[in-house]
Amino acid sequence: MKKIYALLTTLLLTVTAGAQTLNVKVGNVTYQFPASQCGDMTYTNGTTLTILNKAFTLSDISAMTVDNTEVTDGAIGVTYNGSSATVTVAGNIAQYVTPTVSGAHVSIEQSSDVAEEITYTLSGTSTDGEFYMSGSYKATVELNGLTLTNATPVYSGAAVHIQNGKRIKVKVVTGTTNTLVDAASGSQKGCLYVKGHAEFAQKGTLNVTGNVKHAIKTGEYITLKNATINVLGAVGDGINCGQFFQMESGEINIVGTSDDGIQCDIEDTETYPSGTGETTDHEDEDSGNIYLEGGTINVTVSADAAKGIKSEGDMRISDGDITVKTTGGGVWDSDKVKTKASACLGADGNMTISGGTLTLTSTGAGGKGINVDGSFTATGGTTTISTSGNAVVASSSGSLSTVSSSEQLDNYDSDYKSSPKGIKVDGAITISDDAVISVTTTGAGGEGIESKTYINITGGQTTIVAADDAVNASYNDDTKSLSNAGDFTISGGYLYAYSTGNDGIDANGNCYIKGGVVYAIGSGSPEVAIDANSEEQKKLYITGGTIIAVGGLESGASISGGTCKYTSSWTASSWYALYNGSDLALAFRTPASSSSSGGNQGGPGGNQGGPGGNQGGSSQQLVVYTTSTPSLKSGITVSGGTEYFGGMANVGGTVTGGSSVTLSTYSGGNSGPGGH
Amino acid sequence: MKKLFLFLALMIGSLTAQAADYTYLTFETTDGAKVSVEASSLTITISGTTLTAGSQSFTLSNLSKMYFSTSDETTGIKAISAEELNEATEVYDLNGRKVQKDQLKKGVYVIKTKNGNHKIAVK
Repeated sequence: MKKIYALLTTLLLTVTAGAQTLNVKVGNVTYQFPASQCGDMTYTNGTTLTILNKAFTLSDISAMTVDNTEVTDGAIGVTYNGSSATVTVAGNIAQYVTPTVSGAHVSIEQSSDVAEEITYTLSGTSTDGEFYMSGSYKATVELNGLTLTNATPVYSGAAVHIQNGKRIKVKVVTGTTNTLVDAASGSQKGCLYVKGHAEFAQKGTLNVTGNVKHAIKTGEYITLKNATINVLGAVGDGINCGQFFQMESGEINIVGTSDDGIQCDIEDTETYPSGTGETTDHEDEDSGNIYLEGGTINVTVSADAAKGIKSEGDMRISDGDITVKTTGGGVWDSDKVKTKASACLGADGNMTISGGTLTLTSTGAGGKGINVDGSFTATGGTTTISTSGNAVVASSSGSLSTVSSSEQLDNYDSDYKSSPKGIKVDGAITISDDAVISVTTTGAGGEGIESKTYINITGGQTTIVAADDAVNASYNDDTKSLSNAGDFTISGGYLYAYSTGNDGIDANGNCYIKGGVVYAIGSGSPEVAIDANSEEQKKLYITGGTIIAVGGLESGASISGGTCKYTSSWTASSWYALYNGSDLALAFRTPASSSSSGGNQGGPGGNQGGPGGNQGGSSQQLVVYTTSTPSLKSGITVSGGTEYFGGMANVGGTVTGGSSVTLSTYSGGNSGPGGH
Repeated sequence: MKKLFLFLALMIGSLTAQAADYTYLTFETTDGAKVSVEASSLTITISGTTLTAGSQSFTLSNLSKMYFSTSDETTGIKAISAEELNEATEVYDLNGRKVQKDQLKKGVYVIKTKNGNHKIAVK
């Protein structure tokens, strides 16, 4: 059937090609009038010729010819060739446009009377050219093998400047490679600038370099399907837009920017100070939201405090392969009197991850994987985060330095420090369903995940190895009055929280374990595996689930719904099997060190080995809890099953060998807080 | 199959729309006279106050309009006697080529005579 359509279409085109076209050439612009459309072409006073309402001054016409050129209604072609450019204009829209060509600098003014969409097809090469279009009706710009550098601007410093506030469809024509470089100086906002909203499509490649500000800048929203956009460098952001950014497919690669990789702002903050939020079909949306729904993104940013991807509104990730790396350090914001640092993903609003594969790496001082001012919700996707910088701190005068130990951070007010956290959220953190999150931090102050409101885990698999608290549910001045401020709750899913320098799980409010599988490892006395804020009459409540806690529990824990036992005699880096009654709950591998002396001693707010707590130099308590009666086997071998926690646990496997471990009834826990 | 029929119907409609073959570009002067020139590969130039289309030249101020036409609409063609034809000093076809007056084939020609230039149609 496809062949029939192709054959018939070919036949049609062949017939069409036979029609005559009157070409009216004025300078480097040729207007193409199909004979069938021309009607009466009138001469006036021997000075003017009017065709389809387009008036030509006869003395400007260098030639008119009739040939068989096929004309597509509404089409304008611009072909660059070295230091010159030629323009063709379809006759039906000739009356609505005023092209001007100066060398290879082309400007086309689109009349406000235009009532149909015009397609501008740009092709060819020039090392000193530009394309400028102004208008007020939606248009299509096709990049059809265009290589354009604007060396000596005539109309704008941009290589392509669309001064049109309506929808601009930017077709990166399939199979073509297009390269745009703007002028080295000027006031242009982007190398590719669109005043309105840009919809990128087709499967071509677009390379862009922004020498003055952004590589790609749109005043309104951007959507992307299929096309590959490579930002090779920018003084500002790689891609900067207003309203919202939506990527359905295609590929974005960004390197060499001096600011963020992708940034989306609320366009009209006077009308919508907090944005419109998402609207039905994104109609009239000015949310500042970023929607990542498919495709591939690779962003590397190196500037201090730069964000790989930044939304002034929400960020919603439902699919795609997203890799972001930041290497920059911190900066002191003298206006806001605040220390800032890099983040792979940053949202001023909320962030939701429901799908996709995210690989986020931050190596600079204070650099974070994810930084969210609102709430963070993960229901799916696979997110892998690694941070390796130390915390950055500022003096009262704003002079920056880095610290090499977490304890030093207690000497600084929150605005005067920025720590390299895996996920930092001012609002609530919720992890559920099929979310897979893996976080590794190695620098001072490197908490795994932190919320300044509360953390609620109901599903998914969260694996954290952190230099500071692996999980920290905390609060700030804005949230401390909430009844659940600083609470941590888990009722389902799998959580591995291993801190090499602080608590495994640290709740500055209450800590509730109602279900799920929790494997928490504290760094050693005075830190604990699972901590709650008992100094402020908060408590650890255990009512369900399966728990392995290396380093003990917060003193005064309320334990019900099952049995808690412990041993202080266990072997590091060894496989154990935990049974709930006679049923295998899971097999797990113990951490590399069993000694509490290997961890962080005398941390801020921590105790110094009070009654019932671990003593320096002794083995940490290995506490287990199940809903029935827990028992342990050591030195086992496990096969089959499903690996969890980066290979530190196995669920559903077959256990062989091993010997029973003597467990004592757990009735206490480390006294004193484990630090914040 | 329905889609195919629909496509074919659209095709036929489209073909119909494209079927008109405008063989001529007809110029009309302010006095109502018309001169049709063959449109195929036609080049029109403007030099000063003169527009030249193929072999035809027009004073710009005398032109009122031009349009594509499917037939030769040249007006001012008159029947001349054999004597007048014999007295013709030169004969040109519409492409400006000089032709022998005893070898005229069917078509439109311009002849120069003592009494002026005339367009003639040989049938």
